[in-house]
Amino acid sequence: MTATGVAADSEAAAPAQTISAEDLPAMVAGNQLLCSAIGAAGVDGVTVCVEALLRRHGPVPLVGLDSLPDDALCASVGAVGAFAPLLELPPCGDEFELAVGALEARIGRRLDAVVSLNAAGPNALFPVGAAAALGLPLVDCDGMGRILPLIHQTTYALAGLPVTPLAGASQTGDVVVLDTGSRRADALLRGVVDASGGFMICAMYPATAARLREAAIEGSTSRILRVGGLLTSVSGRGALLAGLARTVGARVLAHGRVVEVAGVGRTEGTRHYPSMPSSIVLAEPGEAGRIIRLEAQNELLLALIDGAVAAAVPDVLCMLDRHKLRVVGLEGVEVGDDVDVLMVPAAPMWHTEAGLGLAGPRAFGFPVSHPSEGGRP
Amino acid sequence: MRANRSTEPLTVAELVRFGPLSRARAFATGHLERPVSGVSLISELEKARQCEPDTVLVVHPTAALGIWALESALRFAWERNASCLVAPSGIAVTGSTQQLAERLRMPLFVVSDPAKSALELAAAIADTEAARARMTTRCAVLFSERENMRDIVGVINTEVPGVTAALLTADGHVLAGRSTVGRDQRNANGDGHRVEVPVPGPGGRPLGTLVARLSTWSPAWAETVETILRLARAPLAASIAGAQLALSHRAVKDRLLLETLLRDEHAAPEADGAAPRPPSPADEGVSAERIAREAGWRIDGSHVAVFLRPGRLDEPGRESATTGVIASWQDAFPRTDLIPYEQGWVAWFTDNAAEPRDVADLVRHRLLSSRIPLPLSVGVGQPGEGMSGLRRSVAEAALAAAVAVRAGGGTIELYAELGPRAVLACLPVGEIADAARILLAELIADPKADVLISTLAAFLDCACSTGQAAARLGLHRNTMLGRMERIRSRGVDLEAPEHRLALHIACYALMSTRQPT
Repeated sequence: MTATGVAADSEAAAPAQTISAEDLPAMVAGNQLLCSAIGAAGVDGVTVCVEALLRRHGPVPLVGLDSLPDDALCASVGAVGAFAPLLELPPCGDEFELAVGALEARIGRRLDAVVSLNAAGPNALFPVGAAAALGLPLVDCDGMGRILPLIHQTTYALAGLPVTPLAGASQTGDVVVLDTGSRRADALLRGVVDASGGFMICAMYPATAARLREAAIEGSTSRILRVGGLLTSVSGRGALLAGLARTVGARVLAHGRVVEVAGVGRTEGTRHYPSMPSSIVLAEPGEAGRIIRLEAQNELLLALIDGAVAAAVPDVLCMLDRHKLRVVGLEGVEVGDDVDVLMVPAAPMWHTEAGLGLAGPRAFGFPVSHPSEGGRP
Repeated sequence: MRANRSTEPLTVAELVRFGPLSRARAFATGHLERPVSGVSLISELEKARQCEPDTVLVVHPTAALGIWALESALRFAWERNASCLVAPSGIAVTGSTQQLAERLRMPLFVVSDPAKSALELAAAIADTEAARARMTTRCAVLFSERENMRDIVGVINTEVPGVTAALLTADGHVLAGRSTVGRDQRNANGDGHRVEVPVPGPGGRPLGTLVARLSTWSPAWAETVETILRLARAPLAASIAGAQLALSHRAVKDRLLLETLLRDEHAAPEADGAAPRPPSPADEGVSAERIAREAGWRIDGSHVAVFLRPGRLDEPGRESATTGVIASWQDAFPRTDLIPYEQGWVAWFTDNAAEPRDVADLVRHRLLSSRIPLPLSVGVGQPGEGMSGLRRSVAEAALAAAVAVRAGGGTIELYAELGPRAVLACLPVGEIADAARILLAELIADPKADVLISTLAAFLDCACSTGQAAARLGLHRNTMLGRMERIRSRGVDLEAPEHRLALHIACYALMSTRQPT
């Protein structure tokens, strides 16, 4: 696992608010839409942990970047590692103070606020837990707007913020501080993460609020809450799709029945990623129905309709069960499922040349143009 | 001409049938008629965007990063109007990819070495003449290996891509091949292009036309197809001649055997259980029976014989029609032999449950409704047990056929329904009629001769009772009497008993030979 977040927001971030234990169900639900179909299930342990912290320390203020003074020091908090160990042994709650404490010791200054590494999946919840444990406000922004596999695949890195110094803490109390180049950080950290049990809570990208304003995707956390509110309260498919279109710009690419779910061999493009490729094929109803292929490497990355690229990473792809109106994750998808394929556009920063270079289809070994490139090779 | 030809490209189908794609695994092969004018080998998926129309898009393994990439290439091929896609076998093509290929109507071929295939394709496309020559040669070899008409025409249908062929008679009947080709001819406005080559029969007279319908047309392609059709002519003529020769040879042998078998009344002691047998003819009969059994004839059990005759008395000789009639019969009744015998052909159905009426229906249904070279009249005998029963049934069938022939082609008579009338069938009606015309010249000269002869016949049929005859003809008694007076006035003596049989037969002969009006 890595990091999580929300796409670009067309609406203004909500005024100062707090996140309490009661907000967690909506947050968990909202997460799922932006997970690109991975980790949509199985965050119960994480939820329990964060809920305990919220109940012990009280609600966390959710503040906008603009409400912070320019020199307020922030750091991104999130878990780095794999999902499976996280499900087996959720964090105990001490890791946040250990990791942030080590980072503060390294840079010689206390943090003023916590920022999300990526507000999607479990990493939407961890920063809330961290802010609660540390008694700090949570800034309503993140660096991915979705889940991406590498810690430097962020808008923070795009804007030139260094990943390190980075501090990580494991459940067993191991603490590690890394001070290296952004691109080496992921490789080095992954070795430590593997040795320490599969995942670590990390604090990274230490930066002032002024610098973050140019680098962060704002409103990520509040948007998850709104999406979660829709998914938990709206009962009709049409109303839900309309709500999602309004809130996150979600668009239905196609709908159909799953006809094929297959793991595919690791190819050249996926070699550098801690992921396993797989492929899902959907058939539109009717004789003239189109064929939709979704290519995944842990997350859904590419949607081809009749062989033509219809959507690609860094835009978020997800499947929504047409009858149960719930997000279908890669771990739960089965042949016969009747789903809508939704695309949630990524933040505009991702659609720049540099953004697509870092997290576009070619970065994942798909030598195709992103639809926003308009056929430009 | 050659310069023109080289500009006409091969089709995908030709590359599949005779070219480098023959060993490829193929998907979506319903759309192979597209021309191919070049090859695009791509080692990067994005290069497929620049693929030229009407080219084979070959995906190098480096560009085939997964099944999705193959599908993407299919899409580009479709967008760029390529002819087909060739992909490396490293990617396993699944049902959905095949479905997409079919949906986009883009033939997909999977080969082990795309780069090598690209080179071979380029070579084949550069020299279309050589590729077509290979196809022609292959057809020629296959023609020489096939023995019957259907197989020879079948070679064209299976080996020449985009071509359906049939051998048609002058009136459009399909002798071999696809019946759709024949239908087109009848419609005469089929959208396909046709190539036709006349096929000579064994005697040199035309047997029919070999017709090929081309789904795509170009002068060079039509020329290639015509060459192939011409190559098929000699094997076709030979196969037809061979079949006719074999049939006629067998017919002669069968006829001799049947004549021997039916000749001697005492020839079949086993079947009849007749006690003492005359030494010499019996030996011949027993031997004929053995040969007949060895030939697969069924001579035990209950038989119903069928006698076929040319449908009109003035039909030309039976001999010339024998092969055609036997061939038609074998099409209709593959398990029952038809054997030339006397003025016609004999067959018999051996089945204890066989009823003459059923047999007649069967023959009417299967034979008379099908295409046979001349109209036939048919007689059906009564069931008969064993050899002697067969002999009797054949004789009865022959009599019934002789009656049927008087009614014209297509008639079936059952002996059981004829009664004594069967005897009349043996009369030389023509000669008797000639004599009657002399005898009754005065009566025939009457303007109402036909009516008077019918009246006279009815009078004699009714044992010279004018009352009964009037009732039979539906006349008033006075009319009847008037006609009788008129007959007498024409010199016919009705009072002499010794003249009545001759008069009766003369009327019968005149009525039998009367031209239908």
